[in-house]
Amino acid sequence: MIRVIVDGQAVEVEGGATVLEAVRLAGGSIPTLCFDDRQAPFGACRVCMVGVAGAPGPMPACTTPCRDGMEVDTCEPTARRVAGTVVELVLSELPEPPGAHTELAAVARAFGVTDSRWPGATHAPDHDERHPYLSLHHELCISCGRCVRACDEVQGAFALTATGRGFHANVTAGLDAGFLDSSCVSCGACADTCPTDAITEISLLSLVAPDSG
Amino acid sequence: MSSPSTRQRPPSSHNLVELVRRHHAERAPTALAVLKEAVERRGEVTDDDRRVAAERSGLPEAAVYGISTFYDDLLQPRGRRHIRVCTGTACFAACGGSHVQELTQALGLELGERTQDKSISLAETVCLGLCHSSPAVRDGDVIDAGSGVVRRVLAGASRPAVEPDWQSVLPDPVLVRPGDWSGLGRALRAMQPQELLEEVKAANLRGRGGAGFPAGSKWEFARAAVGDQKFIVANGDEGDPGSYIDKYLMERNPALLLEGMALAGYAVGASHGFVLCRSEYPLSKPALDAAIERARGDGLLGDHILGSAFSFDVTVIEGAGSYVVGEETALLACLQGLRGTVSARPPFPAQRGVHAMPTVVNNVETLCNVGFIASQGAQAYRELSPGATPGSKLVCFNERFLRPGVYETRFGTTMRELCEELGGGLRDGRAIKALQIGGPLGGILPAALLDTPFDFDELDAVGCMVGHGGIVAFDDQTDMREVARHLLHFGAHESCGKCFPCRIGLKRAHEMFVSETPVDRARLETLLETLELGSLCAHGSGMPAPIRSLLTHFSQELGLA
Amino acid sequence: MIDRFDSTVTTTCGYCGVGCRLDAHTSGGKIISISPAPDGPANQGHTCLKGRFAHQFSRSRDRLTAPLIREGGRLRPASWEEAIDRVVTGFSRIKTESGPDAIAGLASSRATNEDCYVMQRFMRAAIGTNNIDNCSRVCHSPTSFAMRRAFGLSGATGSFADIDRADAALLIGANATEGHPVAGARIKQAAMRGMQLVTIDPRRIELADYAVLHLSPRPGTNAAVLLGLAHVVLRDGYVDHDFVARRTDGFSEVEELVALYPPEVVEEISGVPAGDVETAARIYAQATEASILWGLGVTEHKYGSEVVRLICNLALMTGKVGRPGSALLPLRGQNNVQGSSDMGALPDTYTQYRSVEDEDVAREFEGRWGVRLSRTKGLTIPQMFDAAVDGRLKAMYIFGEDVAQTDPNTAHVVRALESLEFLVCQDIFETETTRYADVILPASAFLEKTGTFTNAERRIQLVRPAIAPPGDARTDFDIITSLSRQMGHDMGLATPEEAMGEIAALTPHFAGVTYERIGRRGLQWPVAADGTDSPMLYGERFELASERGQFGALPYKEPGDAADAEFPLILVTGRRLQHYNAGTMTRRTANLQLLASDWLEIHPDDAARLWVTDGQLISVRSRVGRIEIEAKVTDRIEPGHVFTAFHFPEVRTNLLIGSSADINTSCPEYKVVAVDVRPIAERPAFTPVLPEPALAPPN
Repeated sequence: MIRVIVDGQAVEVEGGATVLEAVRLAGGSIPTLCFDDRQAPFGACRVCMVGVAGAPGPMPACTTPCRDGMEVDTCEPTARRVAGTVVELVLSELPEPPGAHTELAAVARAFGVTDSRWPGATHAPDHDERHPYLSLHHELCISCGRCVRACDEVQGAFALTATGRGFHANVTAGLDAGFLDSSCVSCGACADTCPTDAITEISLLSLVAPDSG
Repeated sequence: MSSPSTRQRPPSSHNLVELVRRHHAERAPTALAVLKEAVERRGEVTDDDRRVAAERSGLPEAAVYGISTFYDDLLQPRGRRHIRVCTGTACFAACGGSHVQELTQALGLELGERTQDKSISLAETVCLGLCHSSPAVRDGDVIDAGSGVVRRVLAGASRPAVEPDWQSVLPDPVLVRPGDWSGLGRALRAMQPQELLEEVKAANLRGRGGAGFPAGSKWEFARAAVGDQKFIVANGDEGDPGSYIDKYLMERNPALLLEGMALAGYAVGASHGFVLCRSEYPLSKPALDAAIERARGDGLLGDHILGSAFSFDVTVIEGAGSYVVGEETALLACLQGLRGTVSARPPFPAQRGVHAMPTVVNNVETLCNVGFIASQGAQAYRELSPGATPGSKLVCFNERFLRPGVYETRFGTTMRELCEELGGGLRDGRAIKALQIGGPLGGILPAALLDTPFDFDELDAVGCMVGHGGIVAFDDQTDMREVARHLLHFGAHESCGKCFPCRIGLKRAHEMFVSETPVDRARLETLLETLELGSLCAHGSGMPAPIRSLLTHFSQELGLA
Repeated sequence: MIDRFDSTVTTTCGYCGVGCRLDAHTSGGKIISISPAPDGPANQGHTCLKGRFAHQFSRSRDRLTAPLIREGGRLRPASWEEAIDRVVTGFSRIKTESGPDAIAGLASSRATNEDCYVMQRFMRAAIGTNNIDNCSRVCHSPTSFAMRRAFGLSGATGSFADIDRADAALLIGANATEGHPVAGARIKQAAMRGMQLVTIDPRRIELADYAVLHLSPRPGTNAAVLLGLAHVVLRDGYVDHDFVARRTDGFSEVEELVALYPPEVVEEISGVPAGDVETAARIYAQATEASILWGLGVTEHKYGSEVVRLICNLALMTGKVGRPGSALLPLRGQNNVQGSSDMGALPDTYTQYRSVEDEDVAREFEGRWGVRLSRTKGLTIPQMFDAAVDGRLKAMYIFGEDVAQTDPNTAHVVRALESLEFLVCQDIFETETTRYADVILPASAFLEKTGTFTNAERRIQLVRPAIAPPGDARTDFDIITSLSRQMGHDMGLATPEEAMGEIAALTPHFAGVTYERIGRRGLQWPVAADGTDSPMLYGERFELASERGQFGALPYKEPGDAADAEFPLILVTGRRLQHYNAGTMTRRTANLQLLASDWLEIHPDDAARLWVTDGQLISVRSRVGRIEIEAKVTDRIEPGHVFTAFHFPEVRTNLLIGSSADINTSCPEYKVVAVDVRPIAERPAFTPVLPEPALAPPN
């Protein structure tokens, strides 16, 4: 067992545990976008940045292994600033704000981010709604990779993939011809994990939550 | 009891690598290799090609689709005549990109376009490694460069550019001497693997690919790691625009690299090596393959090398056009034919690399130093650069210099000495306005700081780095805002798209410089901080370095608000 | 958290036996979405397209919303009072005229433990007969039978978590990625992580692609393969002699028996190459921890229960039982196959498989229920149909089962139903079976009721209503207890939770079960009075009087049907991913868009011989029936075999299934049926001339 101090509170974790696990064990919470308990840590979104004493800069909690005696500060200002800016950047790539019920919206609220200082190119609307249950709205994709990993690491259908690169990164099913023409087994794990409703259930498309105040 | 947190979770996504491993064991080609064949044959990748690639490689169709949308070589349609124009930094420094404009206008094609009848296609490439003779254009298989190149290409009279010979300032060159395998011979005769490892550690051989990480430590991790098999990977993905050092090493001195790989294999207990070289260097793979054939014939590669118990062989794999593939985790992904995206570390390649087995990834030049260490010892190696980082270093100069080319030099020499004594200063009576050292992630050194010694710590202190050792001079006529725009275009285009700061941040930074409105410095600084501190790999965290240099030294030229 | 839903209720899935915990989200009184509960112990935040999406059936327009009674040959809506009165009158008359044993009941493996419990109590206490059975008869009764004899208890020896801990696993006769998708996904992930998976199935199932080895035995020859594995284990010194000596009985007979099954002999019988038998045995035996999983491909055979014993033998001789990672996991077909039998909805046992012939047990139940109970075993499902045709059985009360579609020898079943004087069906839809009903009682779906299901790892989990039953439909619990009251036996159980209280009081293995303790994580029986449950069985002793595991020296025997000149191909039946059993639920959802019709899988060689082309409508004829279906030519199936599912009433695959059944449990032999396949366009009299293989001329 390893001893880690999270925001002043000592917790014991198993060797190999991540900082995120230690923080949760200590009862704390860190916003995340690309992390899903059912999947291997991915380290893409950089929203879970925390301060670690002695580290040259903020560290991603989800992929950083704990070391004995490590001191973690989940509110370290630089880490919060970097993570908040990342959230702002994510909002800037969407042509419309995320639905209030989505994880992305919740994370934005956690950082108090409502708008972006970097308006710019957004993703063009492109919808696959041919499947009886699943819809894919490419413009809402933030390339967190959760759907692809759900399909790979949880279901093992390998029906989804990341596509493109850089700002044009996105996801698609099969040979980009939609869920119906892919190896999709309709388990819905992708819709379940999607933090933006880029993939969601057809039945939920019109179900909108009351906006947050 | 079971709960989501006790679900057996791998340390990293591993299923695609596992599929690759299983099918590789049955001699299946990688999906990338099949897709590359398709594009060579047909000029583009169709869904049928993707299905064939999935079938042959054993990867899922979706994964193959993802791969086919990642690499430049697979995305750019090819006509019967495929013209690739280099937009690297040396070509930019040479003519500000006018060669691109001339070609697009004359051909009536934008970059990435093909004529309707598929006769001609035009594409962008970064970089062809002919930075000594910029601008460069690859016309089919011919790489032409230098003044008049556009005219020759348009006239259908392209001719191969001539590369200047390389030179060393050392009386007994380490890197530009032909590899003679004496280090491997000595190691197999007289050294245990652990002794060789200790010698490399004692030599303090630092990585030459950018990060400067001690090679001995990497080897030690891989040697200690548990795995059915271990691998040595030579990172020949010298994507830094303005650098053509590894190109020279792979094409002119491949035996030296192969010897270094074999020695690394001996030290860590690996029996196979891979070289990943760039498709932008079409001569590298043939040169390496020929050298491998020769070495096998001479008993220097293969089973029971030189009659010893040690067996080692090497496979050469060519990339498909992606800068970030130079990052080691992305390199491993590309080598296995997957999307060349970066993965979070840990796990490090020394724990989980090729086929999830312990793997050493060293830069080409790094490995080329090992033969000397094995034959002459750590002490001799350290004495090559007295009072500085041990060993020697290859540097190269861009076309702006009077005597561009590759030079072997000592660490600790000042930048001024390098530029003036080796490079001969700038041509046409131009003066150095600034240097970019070590690639696009390296800072920009203004002429006023030319007395900075060429070494890791000293360059770091002024916001620069040794990097690959490419030295690109911008002359006194260069518009530094254009430099920023050029670099950010490159950075955004080459972002692998994995981590959010780099994926979106570089796009936004580029947009700030493209926009007609003045650049808001505070917003830019926030963006740069997020890139530096938030990015997953050196691409996102390194791209701010030259922009910061420009803000420090040339802020008046940047059009800041 | 900003929520879009009116309510979210965590319940347990009503489809297969994995037992996924689900969050059912409602809006406007309807289920609008279902997502996996993140803390579901069996599903770990995952589920499949059935559990997640196939819920629209619950508000399908053809749901039964009012009781129907037959009048002048037609069914008409009626009030509950009228319907119940009709049922009470009908049963009472027959009971008076012909005795209680002229009435039989079927409980449902899809219903809750509490529903099944009150159903068997109704039949035993209100009617007075042990003629109660449930559909596990036609799927996993052989598993239950064999495991009780070998180990003592009727259930998996471990948990799904053992899949993650195993170094190797044998998967026999189970297409898990379609039949049990969440378990299948877990197996696939384990195999990708390095678990050495061996699949044994006549078809090259999807998981075979992720296995280190796939064996395709001829249908009906599983016993030979298992005996061959045991042979290699014994011959090559992999027997855990210490375990065998300390904890088992009967090994010497097995030693003698398996000596007769060297891999070459097994190859002769099963068609599995001898070398593959050797490799499979070594993979299993050499693994530190290895588990065995199986499905209906093992049980639905003439000697299905014997094959399960042979599986148990293999685990006993290698000592691979009762340790984390070394488990025997039968993949249960329906959500509550385990529970419906645990609850005593069987003709020979009360709860916890205690015999109706056991005087002490009978007295205990009599004491609690306050009535005299029969000490005579009742009829199994196939016996019920035989008795109905014979005229001995006059009335049936069928609850949640479409026997006219799912049971074998459909023509015989239909004849039985037609022969009954009085048939009561309790269901959520009109089915093939309800066509013969005199009274149809509109019941509730799993999303509308309270209770518990017990999954394939013996985990008792809570079922909670997310929506109300439609119209005048009532919960099954309510219907059965009301009927019982009207029949003069007031159970005094107001709620399913009270029923569980009674079950716990009467059932040692449920002693500590309360809804509160079940909570969100479930309890794996046996549950001690203090609430301690049992994720793993037999760590120290087997649950038999001797406390020792019992080997069974059972030789290979020919299956009940065999290919011959007239019926040259062997038909195997099974499931498709998109549908579930009779399709009553899934065919009323958009899953039908994902898979609209069935097909017959046939090997390219057979197809070529029979002039069958892909997509062609073909005729499939067995000794007892004939169907028409589309052909799908695929090399996933071996030459000589064909495969189809049974989800579509328009195909009615079970018309083809004869009366061959497991010798111990009457579980039908769905998996070995000799058939003749030919293009439909051919005149039936025409037999294609089959090219004979070129033979060398005799010397």
